[in-house]
Amino acid sequence: MKILVCIKQVADLESRFVVPDGATWFAETDLAFRINEYDEFAIEAAVQIKTALGEGEITVVSLGPARASDGLKKALAMGADQAVHLLDEQGPVKDSWQVAQGIADWAKPEGFDLVLTGMQSQDRGSGQVSIFLSELLELNSVSCAVGLDAEASLLKVERELEGGLRAMVEVSTPALVSCQLGLNTPRYPTLPNIMKAKKKPFETIEVGDLKPNGQDVQWMGAPTSAGAAELIEGDLASQVAKVVSVLKEKNLVG
Amino acid sequence: MALESTREIYWNIPSGSLPLMYLLSFVATGVMLWGFYRRLKVYQQGQPWVVWPDMGSRILRGLKLALTQKKVKKQKGIGQAHSLFFWGFGVLFIGTVLIFIQADILDPLFGVKFLTGGFYQFYSLSLDVAGLLALVMIVGMFVRRMFVPKMRAAIQPADLWLYLDLGLILATGYLIEGLRMAVTELVQNPELAQYSPVGHGLAQLLYPLGEESLRAWHLGIWWFHMVLVMAFLGMIPFTRLKHIVLTPANYLLFSPTPKGHLDTLDLEDEAAESFGLATPSDLRFKDIFDTDACTSCQRCQDRCPAYNTDKPLSPMKLIEDLGKVCTDMENGSLIDAVGKEALFACTTCSACMEICPAEIEHIPKIIGMRRNLALMEGEFAGEEVAKAMDAMEVNGNPLGYAPAKRADWADGLSFVPVEEADYLYFTGCYGSFDPRSQQVAKALVTLAEAAGVKLAILGPQEKCCGEPARKMGNEYLYQSLAAENIEMFKEKKVKKIVTSCPHCYQTLGKDYKDMGFDTEVVHYTELLAQLWKDFRFQLDKKAQDVTYHDSCYLGRYNGIFDAPRELLAATGAQLTEMSACKEESFCCGAGGGRILAEENLGTRINNKRASMAQETGADTVVSSCPFCLTMMEDGTKNLEGDSVKAMDLAELLVSCLPTQTPTEEK
Repeated sequence: MKILVCIKQVADLESRFVVPDGATWFAETDLAFRINEYDEFAIEAAVQIKTALGEGEITVVSLGPARASDGLKKALAMGADQAVHLLDEQGPVKDSWQVAQGIADWAKPEGFDLVLTGMQSQDRGSGQVSIFLSELLELNSVSCAVGLDAEASLLKVERELEGGLRAMVEVSTPALVSCQLGLNTPRYPTLPNIMKAKKKPFETIEVGDLKPNGQDVQWMGAPTSAGAAELIEGDLASQVAKVVSVLKEKNLVG
Repeated sequence: MALESTREIYWNIPSGSLPLMYLLSFVATGVMLWGFYRRLKVYQQGQPWVVWPDMGSRILRGLKLALTQKKVKKQKGIGQAHSLFFWGFGVLFIGTVLIFIQADILDPLFGVKFLTGGFYQFYSLSLDVAGLLALVMIVGMFVRRMFVPKMRAAIQPADLWLYLDLGLILATGYLIEGLRMAVTELVQNPELAQYSPVGHGLAQLLYPLGEESLRAWHLGIWWFHMVLVMAFLGMIPFTRLKHIVLTPANYLLFSPTPKGHLDTLDLEDEAAESFGLATPSDLRFKDIFDTDACTSCQRCQDRCPAYNTDKPLSPMKLIEDLGKVCTDMENGSLIDAVGKEALFACTTCSACMEICPAEIEHIPKIIGMRRNLALMEGEFAGEEVAKAMDAMEVNGNPLGYAPAKRADWADGLSFVPVEEADYLYFTGCYGSFDPRSQQVAKALVTLAEAAGVKLAILGPQEKCCGEPARKMGNEYLYQSLAAENIEMFKEKKVKKIVTSCPHCYQTLGKDYKDMGFDTEVVHYTELLAQLWKDFRFQLDKKAQDVTYHDSCYLGRYNGIFDAPRELLAATGAQLTEMSACKEESFCCGAGGGRILAEENLGTRINNKRASMAQETGADTVVSSCPFCLTMMEDGTKNLEGDSVKAMDLAELLVSCLPTQTPTEEK
């Protein structure tokens, strides 16, 4: 099975995000970067599927600036067989359609049987790239996977729905699945795999001109505060009394 | 005429019996030597033994430790009893050797006899007293083994034979003496008989039997005594008695590295197929030898914070389990034998290694096995630990905070550039990010200012020292963090470093040496104690009742016991020590990378330690480690009864700084 895992390197959420005046994306200085958490589920799922099937080849791809290669290296250490870096310094500010297009242009001729992606990115969070990509690659797509079993040409995907419900979906390959929290616990790369990863094929391809953004970000920054928080002070009894009265006042308790 | 003070060696023994006795001795000695030799192949399963270059000084050290019983005596009470027992049998052994020298070497070859006169009197009395001492001790040991539940639980099948044999050797020894004296001394040389009080008493009792019976009994019991002694010799390698040989032998094998040293693995080694300790073939000669040198005295287990809070780890059992795998000779899995839960429960507090009379090295083995799990399997004490590893990798701290915020705690404080500083204050992850420990970092800056010491910090350019990663077995992550820090230290030309965290202190000061960084590193307690002695700052005395919790890495690992106590005294605080303090301090539970892990098994170590603090009646438990402070803060909150406040020594000192700065007064 030829598996493609799409990953994105995102800023660690604990970072101090600074959006310079007039900019439409945060500045990258002083930030720590990591693989998008959902994409790690996708890498882990790919490695597990390959192990379960006893065959397969995992390619990991990332569209992004030079730093994205760190994420690709980690994915190789986790068990991917080869990496492709679609180098694009403008990657972080491109919209979902452009990113999907960039990946699809390269991926289409490769003929992957299974494409795994994270459900969304932790920074931009549009959750669109996987859907657009499946469209561009003309694949069936199943989103929000919390369970995934692969046979030679059939996937059984457990989907998380709203309201705590689950659905079981069967789809034949080729297909795209986007991964949700709870699918698996990504492995910690072992030292021999970190060392082996250094020797795995790693290709860097400059992304050419893509169709222009369909969207135009007008403004980015922290929202102006709407409601005011009230700090409840005093001794324990009066704090409790105050909390109860507030809850009642707002009709939050019966 | 006064008879000469001596006795005939082998009195009443027909000369024809002697060759048989010698033959038996050779056989018994042979069995003993074979008993030890047969284990050699077990020890050799491991890495080749590196012969130490300093064998002479090692032998001297080993003899000194064995003869002074220094390590054994650390256990008050039973340790002293052991050394009495040792010397009781020691004197008897020396006595026997002297007989051998006279009867088998000097007398037949040169006709020289030295067991005569005043020396013989001294000899005779010494042996009589030593024998009595040994007899009392063996009975005491037997009673302890049979009636103390903890000892009874660890009884070995051969133990009873061993006590019986030793007891009978001593008893028959006295009987032979009494029988001989009844015939040769009691009447003929009563003055000399005084120098064998026990033999004298027995001789008086036995005298009525008449010479013929006395001689017959003497010969019979002499043979019985000899057989018992031969049995003793033969039993040594197969019973607990083996420690008589293996414990001193283990003193020769000690690692001459600083306390807490761990091998810095060559991770780039292309030939290495596996990292860490997985099977006996990964162990060092000494590691396997350790498993035989263990006498199962339980001292480690008695002190182990994990064992004492119902976790599945006993350092003693761990060594025994490893011993079993090695003895199987099948190169089986060490980790399966010990159990992962036991491995992850260790706080590396080193209480086991500190007390072990046989110098067994538990912690390097535990870390070695953790390394195998971490590096080869990507396995840690829990998911939360794996997350912390990830955070260390991405953010340079295990708490997951943004590296850019590393100096936020220092907002409004003034520092000098590194090149102008007396010390670089390596704040550490807790000092930098943990709100409670940030208070300590600020207190330290205030104290440095009061003492006129110029500090610099690296802020966002500082990274975790790597200690928790290393202790959890993640040597790869440790080395990458260490390399980055060292590069930064070198770039900034750092000369001296002060830390507030004993874990950073140990790592920067000792572990980084293996990575090519050798710079003076001090802990703030040392630095401030010195500055205090140099009158560099003043303190107002405040009467308060405190107890002091020794951090493992400051105390046991680095011997810093006095500096914090001197500073406490300087504040006028009344210090009441906990039952477990200094070398015997009880860990807070956060060492060995466990600060990153949930404590899901057994009861909580910090609660136990907090109740020890409470028992002193002190209002405050003072510590000087951010991990200890974190654990004591939680532990004291869970206490029932009198409340105890947890404080860092730096905070206590700041609270005693005079309101006016002393520098103006001077």
